[in-house]
Amino acid sequence: MAFKPSERSSRTAEDVELNMTPVMNLMVVLIPLLLSSAVFVKIGVIDLNLPPAVGANVSQLEAPKESEKKLDLAVSITDNGFYISSSIEIVRTADRSTPSIPLANDGSLNYSALSEKLYEIKQKALDQFPDVDRIVIQAEPDIHYQVLVNTMDAAREITIDSQKFVLFPEVSLAAGVIF
Amino acid sequence: MAFIPSRIKKHDTNPGKVRLNLTSMMDMFTIILVFLLKTYSTQGLLIHPSDKLTLPSSSIEKSPEVGLDLIVSKKSIAVNHEEVEQVSDILNHDGLIIDELLNKLQIYAREAKRMEEQYGTKFSGKVTIQADKEIPYKLLIKVMATCGQAEYPNMRLVVYKKEG
Repeated sequence: MAFKPSERSSRTAEDVELNMTPVMNLMVVLIPLLLSSAVFVKIGVIDLNLPPAVGANVSQLEAPKESEKKLDLAVSITDNGFYISSSIEIVRTADRSTPSIPLANDGSLNYSALSEKLYEIKQKALDQFPDVDRIVIQAEPDIHYQVLVNTMDAAREITIDSQKFVLFPEVSLAAGVIF
Repeated sequence: MAFIPSRIKKHDTNPGKVRLNLTSMMDMFTIILVFLLKTYSTQGLLIHPSDKLTLPSSSIEKSPEVGLDLIVSKKSIAVNHEEVEQVSDILNHDGLIIDELLNKLQIYAREAKRMEEQYGTKFSGKVTIQADKEIPYKLLIKVMATCGQAEYPNMRLVVYKKEG
């Protein structure tokens, strides 16, 4: 004869718990490993291109031969703003001494205006010249390196309506007449 | 009057094993793990930025390649972490070429060419320039002109990538 189950309220089943310990062990090993190999600062490089004609001196850069028909775009960074020159137009205001892109209202260099101007030039030059990716940047002797890099950024691409347009990615630096 | 506890009823004096609730900790670990796995790069750090300088930041996307290390800090110039010349001396000096640096680079170039002959490792003339963000343009131009003279024409400027 089988025993009849007790009529006393029987104990409800205990909560079944997963055994987390192996997963925890895994985490404890993986997280220090990944933390130690994590790279938090991203490093990039800017390629520099040698000027088109190796050994070209300043006079050649400033006065291109008509027959070659190159864009020869150049941006000069000064304390008063940017000067832009190219073979299709010398972007200057009427007075030669004022820069093509003057300082912004707060006295800093106006990078966004430079990008827009270069975008305009790029649109005009697109089908006419062989060197539409190239730009020469020169600066006054005491311009900081960060300013130069910012200018390169401004000359490399522009974002219009959240779309990126490539401007002049092939940057050369010129020593200019400052030495 | 207080009741005397019953001696017949079994009082639950031993509540059994105490268990830690690990679920919330697991949640946290899972999130951290996913984050770290996402930032994990198989390439590692090819360029170790020197702690003597602050690199400029740029919006460029290009990733670094290996080359001869040239460090231009506010005080001195170093090739492969070996100090070559003081910046103040260079700025006082007029010419475009920095003689000490030129000699040093030529030694490295000669060595690299010898390696090319003997072991076939190609000499590419690549040099990565790590420069402080506050150095003047004239110093950078002098360093670059010297690199060009010393058979290292492929120059790269090392920058921090801007986030966003």
